[in-house]
Amino acid sequence: MKRTLKMILALSLLGAPMARSQDNVPILSGALAFLGSSTGGANSYEPILAPVLVAPFGDHWLVESRAEVLGFIARENGTSGPYSGTFAATFDYLQLDYLANTHLTVTVGRFLTPFNIYNERMPVWITNLEDGPIIYTIGTRTSGSSNGFMVRGDLVAHPEWSVNYTAYFSAATTTENLQSGRAAGGRMGVFLPQTGLEVGASYQRFLQNGDYNAYGAYAIWEPPPIPLDVRAEFAHSPGGHGYWLEGAYHLASSRGTSTWLSRLQAVARVQQFIKGSNPQPGDFLPTVNVNQFDIGLNYYLPHELRLNGSYGRQYSSAGNANVWNFAITYRFLFPAWPGGHQ
Amino acid sequence: MKKLLVGLVLIFALACSRKVPAVPQTSPGAQQAPKAPIKKGVNAQDGERKFKENCGRCHNPPDSLSPREVKAVVRHMRVRAMLSEEDAQLILQYLAP
Repeated sequence: MKRTLKMILALSLLGAPMARSQDNVPILSGALAFLGSSTGGANSYEPILAPVLVAPFGDHWLVESRAEVLGFIARENGTSGPYSGTFAATFDYLQLDYLANTHLTVTVGRFLTPFNIYNERMPVWITNLEDGPIIYTIGTRTSGSSNGFMVRGDLVAHPEWSVNYTAYFSAATTTENLQSGRAAGGRMGVFLPQTGLEVGASYQRFLQNGDYNAYGAYAIWEPPPIPLDVRAEFAHSPGGHGYWLEGAYHLASSRGTSTWLSRLQAVARVQQFIKGSNPQPGDFLPTVNVNQFDIGLNYYLPHELRLNGSYGRQYSSAGNANVWNFAITYRFLFPAWPGGHQ
Repeated sequence: MKKLLVGLVLIFALACSRKVPAVPQTSPGAQQAPKAPIKKGVNAQDGERKFKENCGRCHNPPDSLSPREVKAVVRHMRVRAMLSEEDAQLILQYLAP
């Protein structure tokens, strides 16, 4: 943890003047959140600080990183005993990007593994439900991050449709808080901006401890006139397969309306997991079939503050359970250099 | 594995072979070519539309950012959201007119 904090500090000190020299202002963004959860009577609390440093330099370069300082506080015996806590700090990504053109960005370093949409596009301040989907670990082993190189961009960038792609290779790393698996894979999606629809597919070849394939598909639909978000993922691996489907609706007649009622968002999600015939050690997937539904309410307060609350019911042969979650999230963004706000 | 590597090389080659018209960069001190008349109203509308189509899928416009901060944000989102150069330029003009 000390090493990670030192790296964050060093990156801030080195990146800021480098970026400033080209009239580029580095920024510090991210979120501060407090999550509470109760699953089958076992309570846990998670304070999270997730700072994002963005330091552009030159016309084509960018250094970006997101660290996560995460606490986990729970009873020692699950539902009984005194509370105790642990803290850990990790880098979700720490990458150097070269933005060649619309069609190609080359990334080296540590980056979020691009498998489907949840891992890469839904940090704590974006996701509508704080409880992650059951299939999250499919295609994102071992830590959700990869260490290696990645190419990405738009193969086709047309005003009415675009095709985006990502391809990567990751080396196995066992360094504390910087773990990654040896893997290669990619994702391809088609986006239709006028209808707000994106569909895509992902593939990963995991190349350690016995090679195996993981594949998945996703869809996002945000119809422009209606404040509705529909997101879904399907993923398959030897350890099991499953899907989640989520809908979220702001209580407003149109997208972009800002009233006290439109700040309220109702969310519902269904998900299903079916265990596979060949579970892999360390894949963090359930060993039994699981069905779950969640319903929730989010309220978007002024000044980038958000409240979440949700209830879910989990059904499995290991026992059914109620899942309660609440969260308060504050999103911040300010220049990482004095005078940068001018 | 070989097929995967061949696929990666093909994607890389395809991406490098396609070029789009360069968006003029405005770095201080640089000599600038004469510009075509800018239709401010059209650009603002296009920028707002592009923001809603791309960025608005996940979040609202950020509160009060300076033009220099917006530059960093937009470049960050070019990588994260795979924005095209043209869309990124329009969004930049919309957020920091």
